Amino acid sequence: MAMLELEKVRISFGALTTLDDLTLHVNKGEIVSVIGPNGAGKTTLFNVITGVYRPDSGSITLDGQNLVGKDPAKVTRSGVARTFQNVRLFLNMSVIENVMAATFGHTHAGLFSSALGLPRSRREEADVREQAEELLRFFGTRLTGYRWEEPAYSLSYANRRRLEIARALATKPKVLLLDEPAAGMNPKETHEITEVVERLRSEKGLTILIIEHDMHVVEGVSDRVVALDHGVKIAEGDFDSVATHPAVIEAYLGRKAAETK
Amino acid sequence: MDTPQTSAEDSAGRAEVVLGIGTDEWVARHNERLIVDSGPLARLKDTASKIPNLVRWLLVLLIAVAVPLGTSNPYIMRVGVNLGLFILLSYGLNIVVGYAGLLDLGYAAFYGFGAYAYALVSSDQLGHHWKTYISVPIIVVATALLGFLVSLPSRRLMGDYLAIVTLFFGQVFVQVVLSSDSITFPWATDSIDITGGSNGIPALDPFVLFGHKFLNAKDYYWLLLAIIVILTLTITRINRTRIGRAWRTIREDSLAAQAMGISINRLKFMAFIVGAALAGLAGTILSAVQGAVFVNGFDLPLLTLVYAAIILGGSGSLPGAVMGAIVMSLLPEFLRVPSYSEILFFVVLILVIGAMRRSIKSFAITLLGIFVTGIIVRGIFLSLSVKSLPRDEWATGVIGRFLSHWLFVPNNRLLWGNASFVLLIALIAYLTQASPTIKRILLPVAAFLGIFLWEVRLIQQPSTTRQLIIGTMLIVLMVTKPQGFLGKARVEVL
Amino acid sequence: MDNGVQSVDYFGQQMVNGITLGGVYALIALGYTLVYGVLQILNFAHGDVYMIGAFIGFFVMVGLGGPSHAVVPVAVMIFIMFAVSMLGSGLLGIVIEKFAYRPLRNSPRIAPLISALGVSLLLQNGALLLFSGSIRSYDTSSFVPITAGIHLGGVTIDGMRILVLVLALILMFGLSRWVNGTQVGRAMRAIAFDRDAAIMMGINVDRVIMWTFFVGSALAGAAGVMVGLVFLRVYSYMGFLAGLKGFTAAVVGGIGSIPGAMLGGVLLGIAESMTSAYLSPNFSDAITFLLLIAVMLIKPRGLLGRRAIVKV
Repeated sequence: MAMLELEKVRISFGALTTLDDLTLHVNKGEIVSVIGPNGAGKTTLFNVITGVYRPDSGSITLDGQNLVGKDPAKVTRSGVARTFQNVRLFLNMSVIENVMAATFGHTHAGLFSSALGLPRSRREEADVREQAEELLRFFGTRLTGYRWEEPAYSLSYANRRRLEIARALATKPKVLLLDEPAAGMNPKETHEITEVVERLRSEKGLTILIIEHDMHVVEGVSDRVVALDHGVKIAEGDFDSVATHPAVIEAYLGRKAAETK
Repeated sequence: MDTPQTSAEDSAGRAEVVLGIGTDEWVARHNERLIVDSGPLARLKDTASKIPNLVRWLLVLLIAVAVPLGTSNPYIMRVGVNLGLFILLSYGLNIVVGYAGLLDLGYAAFYGFGAYAYALVSSDQLGHHWKTYISVPIIVVATALLGFLVSLPSRRLMGDYLAIVTLFFGQVFVQVVLSSDSITFPWATDSIDITGGSNGIPALDPFVLFGHKFLNAKDYYWLLLAIIVILTLTITRINRTRIGRAWRTIREDSLAAQAMGISINRLKFMAFIVGAALAGLAGTILSAVQGAVFVNGFDLPLLTLVYAAIILGGSGSLPGAVMGAIVMSLLPEFLRVPSYSEILFFVVLILVIGAMRRSIKSFAITLLGIFVTGIIVRGIFLSLSVKSLPRDEWATGVIGRFLSHWLFVPNNRLLWGNASFVLLIALIAYLTQASPTIKRILLPVAAFLGIFLWEVRLIQQPSTTRQLIIGTMLIVLMVTKPQGFLGKARVEVL
Repeated sequence: MDNGVQSVDYFGQQMVNGITLGGVYALIALGYTLVYGVLQILNFAHGDVYMIGAFIGFFVMVGLGGPSHAVVPVAVMIFIMFAVSMLGSGLLGIVIEKFAYRPLRNSPRIAPLISALGVSLLLQNGALLLFSGSIRSYDTSSFVPITAGIHLGGVTIDGMRILVLVLALILMFGLSRWVNGTQVGRAMRAIAFDRDAAIMMGINVDRVIMWTFFVGSALAGAAGVMVGLVFLRVYSYMGFLAGLKGFTAAVVGGIGSIPGAMLGGVLLGIAESMTSAYLSPNFSDAITFLLLIAVMLIKPRGLLGRRAIVKV
């Protein structure tokens, strides 16, 4: 059963067509990796799904529900959460506040009820805090303890990436979009991320779409791999078949390399 | 709760956890590694920073309560009311700018709207005399509504578009108020006077609350104090919870905020409207305490002062807003009296020289340099036989009398004052580029020019001088400490 | 004007006034747009640079003997007024950028804005201190006889207006040549497009920004002299409102767009002149404001503004 469906999605900026009639289905509980050389349209794909850009044509649905034309906040509330390639945390807010802020979409305390400290809003606040703590504990000892009240900028790079995932989870998504979760991590941390992605599916029941350059991660987590080049899907299938697909090799290494293979 | 200690205990074999660059603990402890200034001033600052926030609030509150109990001096109470209004305005603008990061440059107009609206329903101007507990809430809501309408066209509320719309709105407000003293409506034959134009609206009703008629500034002072205490509590609470968190995410990274399901447009409107409502409330109180309302005072100079207040204190911080409001509302009051402003000028001058010449020896040399420069200039003036101004005509302040034996004040104050003004600006511009040696030589000259300019020209023009000082302060503050004196350094990712 | 408010001549006359005013607004708007394009900051002190430009022009005129006792031919005098004012304003722009904006290049957006307010206060009150609060008059009627000029039916375009319009057109033409034809101009567009990439391409950003401020401020200085020549009055608070109008013109045309600034300026000038003539001189600002609101509701990015692409 398809959770996230893109049908013939097309977007261009001026003369440059970044996604060219792209069709992509992600089934419930599936982990799909998107690979492709720089400029293939991977991040644009995420931006189109999350409503940052509006596609010129085509349809995007989540669990049968249309996403095209919704603003990013509405898309997130429908159940799509994302992380960013260049990590965009709320750096001057504390670690736990980063996560708590992301519960905004499914909480209700208004200006007056929180100003007056009404019981309902107090209960909700306590509840939000508990949710945030639980999400932070998901990362084991990596994100626990005294660091919760520290500003997010005091976190190391790898932990910023982890916090960004925790923050995305706080929106209670059905589909999680991870943009290069292992970028800039050392081999040990990369391995951890692979495990985290697997646990996100098994423990949280998420459907996951990943952009990743690290082929070890891609190999380790993906049920299916989709290769893009110039906004066109050039190969799709399990890791081995995509990794050896001539079009993929050509896209990465050029025609010559593909021929000698 | 899991703490890092447990993980350290797990690996008890390792003697200690080695912290390297990039790990969280190392980064989180950067404060401890900062080299702390030594000296008595730094120690005082250190001790002061250890006082908990609650104690500080209570201390300020204590002083605020003690003053009216101790004195009934109407001038002091009036200054207190002004301060209260200023704090109210700073709180409102702090929500708009400090929390939601919106550039509202029409803020003064909302203040004015509240003031005029109160005047119209509480005077003989239109013949309405509404009860306070009816008029004030209605005006606050109306101001909020006006704020909503003004912000509507900049739907996306992108900083600069909002800035231009609100700035223009502020200008139009002043113009409309000024020209609404004879309006002829298409359906009427006679023109009517709504705002009184530049004469304003006199004879306004005072507040009457709980059967108590507000008779003097002290009554309003208590009212403002109560409002501010309530607002401090509620705003602190809002800041800590859902809406406040969401506001701060917008300031941090509005795109990421949206991606986390936060409807940034609604929140921006909300902040803007709350800010406008607070300004409207402050306006009604201003009108009532003055008993009259005039159009001047609701334009750019006031706006600049309120912005300066929240920025001085570090935008986004409530204690900062209070501190900033105290400085920015008392400073102009202080500068109004020439002999006070003279003292302030020399204190700042000494501090600036002290900051630039840290050792006692070079400080003394600089002072000597200023003295010698004065003597030389005196000699030049005398040899050119420039007419001097008799001592009694300029040396009014304490310091002026003290300096009068040394400083030569020429008779043509306008000419020489302007010349020294231009020269001083050129010299300062040059000094920022110059090599350290040249700086050392020319600093006394610049300081002398400053003293000369002050005594010859500025002391005669208190209002212009005030604006010059505030302008300089804003630039210097932004260039040296953009996060304000009380604000924490923020990490910006561009 | 005797033949009534409704006449075609009166309309034509107002049109001429509006276009003249529009030319001035356009020149101010260009300065805003240039700086905004490169730095994405609102240079609030721009209006005050224009005021200083007007004063420089005035004092050059007085220094050359004034309109009645000119020591040089009138054409030379006007040329010197413009040249000195543009040079002075341009240098002032460079100084402002160096001291008030450059240290804040990587600060939050509000910082340069506040510092700009500070510069604006300094310039206004500095001018007040130096030149006093009184209104100076250019008194140019003795330059060019009021009767000189072009008569089209009942519409008179006096010589000064023609001069100002021609000069404004020349300056705008020169600007577009500068932006498109010179190395600095091209570098400026590159920075406006993507500053980081421009730095990596070896463009000296500091130098280009300095030039941008020089050119923008020089245009403002020229606008100041023009206003002095046509509308005669020069005073230390004239910068705020003119700056606001110029800024509005830039926004109406699409901030960051050079043709947009010109279009916005002319539209604003005509609108203002028409509203004062036919509706109410007291509320002309209010009506201009409504125009701004209308444009922003219909075309949020201005008439000639581009769609911005958010980079994620």
